Amino acid sequence: MSRFKPSPFVSAIVAIFILAACGGTTSTGGGLGSGDLLVGVIAPFTGADAGLGPAYYAACLAAAPSINSNGGVGGRNVKCEQFDTRGEPADAVPAANKMIASNSNLMAVVGCTSDEAATVAPIIDRAHIPMFCMTGQSEFNKTALKYFHRLVPADVYDAFAMVGSALFGPGHDPYKKAALVFGDDIGSQAFVAPATNAFTHLGGTIAINQPIHLGASSYRTEVAAMLKTNPDVILTEALGSAGTYLKEVKTQNGGKMIPFIGSSATIDPTWFQQVRDAIGINDLLKYYGGVDLGYTFSGPAYSEFLTNLNAAASTFADAPKYKQRGSTLHLYDGIIMAALAMVATNSADPKVYNSKIIDIANGTSGATVVNTYKDGVAALKAGKSIRFVGAGGENNFDQYNNSQSGYILVGYDKDGNEVTVGHLTPDQTSKLIAAGG
Amino acid sequence: MDLYVAAFGFGLVGMSVIAIAAVGFTMQFGITNMINLAYGEVMISSAYVAYYINRAGVTIWVGMIAGALFGAVFSFLLNRFVYSPFQRKGTSHIGMVIVSLAVSLMIANLLLPIVGYYSVSYQDTTGGLLRAGGIVLTTNQIAIIGVAVVIMLLVHGLLRYTRLGKAMRATAANPTLARNCGIPTQRVIDAVWLITGALCGLAGVVAAMNSDSFAIANGAGFLITALAAAVLGGAGQPYGAMIGAVIIGMITELSAAAWAPEYKEVVAFGILVLVMVLRPQGLLSKRGALAAAG
Repeated sequence: MSRFKPSPFVSAIVAIFILAACGGTTSTGGGLGSGDLLVGVIAPFTGADAGLGPAYYAACLAAAPSINSNGGVGGRNVKCEQFDTRGEPADAVPAANKMIASNSNLMAVVGCTSDEAATVAPIIDRAHIPMFCMTGQSEFNKTALKYFHRLVPADVYDAFAMVGSALFGPGHDPYKKAALVFGDDIGSQAFVAPATNAFTHLGGTIAINQPIHLGASSYRTEVAAMLKTNPDVILTEALGSAGTYLKEVKTQNGGKMIPFIGSSATIDPTWFQQVRDAIGINDLLKYYGGVDLGYTFSGPAYSEFLTNLNAAASTFADAPKYKQRGSTLHLYDGIIMAALAMVATNSADPKVYNSKIIDIANGTSGATVVNTYKDGVAALKAGKSIRFVGAGGENNFDQYNNSQSGYILVGYDKDGNEVTVGHLTPDQTSKLIAAGG
Repeated sequence: MDLYVAAFGFGLVGMSVIAIAAVGFTMQFGITNMINLAYGEVMISSAYVAYYINRAGVTIWVGMIAGALFGAVFSFLLNRFVYSPFQRKGTSHIGMVIVSLAVSLMIANLLLPIVGYYSVSYQDTTGGLLRAGGIVLTTNQIAIIGVAVVIMLLVHGLLRYTRLGKAMRATAANPTLARNCGIPTQRVIDAVWLITGALCGLAGVVAAMNSDSFAIANGAGFLITALAAAVLGGAGQPYGAMIGAVIIGMITELSAAAWAPEYKEVVAFGILVLVMVLRPQGLLSKRGALAAAG
């Protein structure tokens, strides 16, 4: 009986093919490798905070063509994929594990809101994937996670800015008595303590601190309890439930709204539409105040972002709505910075290019300022060091990978565009931070 | 004290909404022996039907009728083309629950690209504000209470005084015997899906009105509340579901007034668990108009 016995050559060829098949496309050292690269968008796409994920997905859809139409990352195209956390840590962990286990070509991860950052950030960090998170939680103020990046200030600063709007904002006398109406989720509750400290230390009174259960079918009793305290203003972040709550305020208050100040997360087309439909556009324009980071919504980086975002409507119809969403701008910048870091280091190994992201964001001495991926790649190929100033403006990372910038006071126009209504002076900002502790 | 009185008034609205949903759910189960976990998604689908009609400039009260009709037809078709074929093949109870769960997920995911994930509101559904002895309600909330009372009376009349109602009760008690006695059980079951589907659709619109603002994600919440009231009252017992709705609706609002509002649902469902521990068969397991078949 004869048996098939492969020659050593055939065995070697088979072994090479098997190893190649198992190895995926991730490079383990020098060189940018081949095959598509993936940006994982890990965020809530369903559940009470379902409005967050699409804003981040839109960022990726805008960033990908900026990179792909300019040669990709060493010829590799960037793609985007959603990983739904449902806004719940328990659902976020399997989503993160699945994302990492089934995609060996992850170049970066974006999203990770306060709902899930505490659970998914360590997982992503252990996998050595650079991440750009939209969490404001203070536990990341001095994080030891090397692959974690935060392009927005911590929630405490957002809370200080809201208090600043209440005390120093234009068009009204300082509000003395505030109701704190924040969702009972981790992210929203992060505002309560700093807002309370800042407001009370600067002479205000907290009329009521009312955590509300997001997604509840009604808030009638909660609103009745809040109105009994007669607040001058409501400070709020209750994503997904704002329309229900605020409409009840108007109803029980005899058709008249109370001024309400929202966090930077309320600068969002979904939030605008929901609240507009609930209380009417006139009351929204008259009684709403918000805070946001000081964006210019202009310049070459923003122009390219806007063009790509509008083009992304063919994939995701709502994408153009996020043209003034701060998180969309920042995550767009984050993805481009990660791609530029890969080009700069000529490596698809995150252990190699991760640290370069900070250099490209902050710039080093003598760095050439670039605003687009195309210009960045050209400058790098010319042997220059670069500083990327993107659609969201300059970044200034500290040693904990947190980027800081200042706030403006904003409102909406009737079409849902952000309108700047005032600024906090350096003196006011200092007072708020000192009072907030 | 004023707050408790106000919360009592709000509880009246809440229990009215829950009662319509829970009675439909429990009748569906009691007569067809089907735990339909897609009930919440049919509710939210009907709410969206009313929304699109309302957005076209038609009053929400017409939208409510349209939602009820949609719920009736949708539920009937679900049974005819999805559930019945599985039941004819002898799929187990737990298998049918899984099928309905799958249907629920399919409806939610099919609906999502059509309606979007964001919240929407009906127009002009608030009405004027009425205050009486500390109770503060809008005219439309009072109308919701009125609708619920009328529906409960109609359900009572249907089950007690009509041939169809008696046939339903007979089918629920023993479908084989009912069939042998000449009751056209298949037609009765079709009628049950139409009637309970209409209640489901109506409940969806009323719940959406009650919420001021609603989204596709609310379907699961609607189901849980209806399910809780139905289980609390005794599975398959319409009168039990009414009592369950009163308890859950009232406790939810009163606990929000008495305690931290973020825990109001915890309190309501905690009481549900307590009742289930002390009386696993529910409050009205022996005395209702219907009983679970099989």
